[in-house]
Amino acid sequence: MRNSEPQSPVSSISGRLRAPDPRDPVTQLFESLRPDLLRFAHWLARDRAIAEDIVQEALLRAWRSRDALQDQRAARPWLLTIVRREHARLYERKRLELVSLDDATEIAPSPGTEESEDQLFALRHAIMRLPLQYREPLVLQVLGGFSTEEIARELQLSATAVLTRLFRARNKLRVLCGMTAAGDVTLNEGPA
Amino acid sequence: MNCDAARLAIGGDPGASTPELEEHVRGCAACAQWRREMQALDADILRALQLPPDMAQATAARGAPAWRQWALAASAVLATFAVFALWLLRPSDTLAHDVVTHVQGEPDSWLATQQVSAEELNHALSGAGVALHITSDKIVYAQSCWFHGHYVPHLVVQTALGPTTVMILRHEQVGGRRAFHEAGMSGVIVPNERGSIAVVARGSAEVGAVAGQMGGEVHWMPEPAPSPPQAH
Repeated sequence: MRNSEPQSPVSSISGRLRAPDPRDPVTQLFESLRPDLLRFAHWLARDRAIAEDIVQEALLRAWRSRDALQDQRAARPWLLTIVRREHARLYERKRLELVSLDDATEIAPSPGTEESEDQLFALRHAIMRLPLQYREPLVLQVLGGFSTEEIARELQLSATAVLTRLFRARNKLRVLCGMTAAGDVTLNEGPA
Repeated sequence: MNCDAARLAIGGDPGASTPELEEHVRGCAACAQWRREMQALDADILRALQLPPDMAQATAARGAPAWRQWALAASAVLATFAVFALWLLRPSDTLAHDVVTHVQGEPDSWLATQQVSAEELNHALSGAGVALHITSDKIVYAQSCWFHGHYVPHLVVQTALGPTTVMILRHEQVGGRRAFHEAGMSGVIVPNERGSIAVVARGSAEVGAVAGQMGGEVHWMPEPAPSPPQAH
């Protein structure tokens, strides 16, 4: 389903290629997916400006390697994968914890909203509070539409480890939203 | 499969379904209930993730004193009135936004290169009671789309500006020509004999000429009887 990610190094500003032709079908396809990519990057990085940088860099990488995209229907998961890896690189390089967990934990819902909106608000911020090891597979699965096996390959974990993280992510969300926690699973997490 | 394995499979992927899991759930009320709860939670998670996190709003709401909350409420009321007034003054802006959103929802439409058949074109047009005087080989996409409660023709025409979307909006009346730029697209909505025509292209292209040309080619026929919307 996915194509391989480009191996080229992160480009510098001075080394960037000239702008692609906006009428090029692949460019148009990439641009049409930009909102999806930005939303995905935003949930990973929890900072809009950094998310925009990540997406820009990812699209540049993708455009350089556009010949690797054999099937345009695979563009979305391919680009999401590149965005995730770009975020991982940034995270690894700078050890960024982009938003303090305290900032996310002390948030109250805005007054006057409907109950369901309050619940959604609480859930959004509960997701924000999840550690990256739980938030990342959850966003990949629910927003990105990746299967357990695809997430496992991407995160270099076993499928069981991915299921365990996703189980714990949902269990934490239940607790953060005021529901009772289910008993934890006690399976080992380890590389595949 | 035992309950621990079933709980892990469901909690890890509430949408998963395997013969072993289904068999277990059929005989285990607790795991069946766990799956219902997880599936409900997942629907909420998807809704929550479909908007990006808004930290600015969250930070502002946190720990604000009472007077500030009243001020915020007053500001919100004023802002609501301002938005409402703007909406009254410029009703086609909302329409333009919806057109752009619709175009964004069909990204493949701008990738089409093959001329559509006469049957496809007729299908897209007839649902809205519209015909075109021309049968252009430049029309590479033609769909009948559910938009604002009606089926509307959604066409893509290859022009000198690149792929250009044309939506024929029988039920959308606009007071005059309205140009817009949004989400990296440029467009215009122009009034026509029985409604309006929206034309959208990528970038900062001037699409007025395309709108004018298409407007002259539209032939309005009696509107067909309405039918329920289908997934599209």
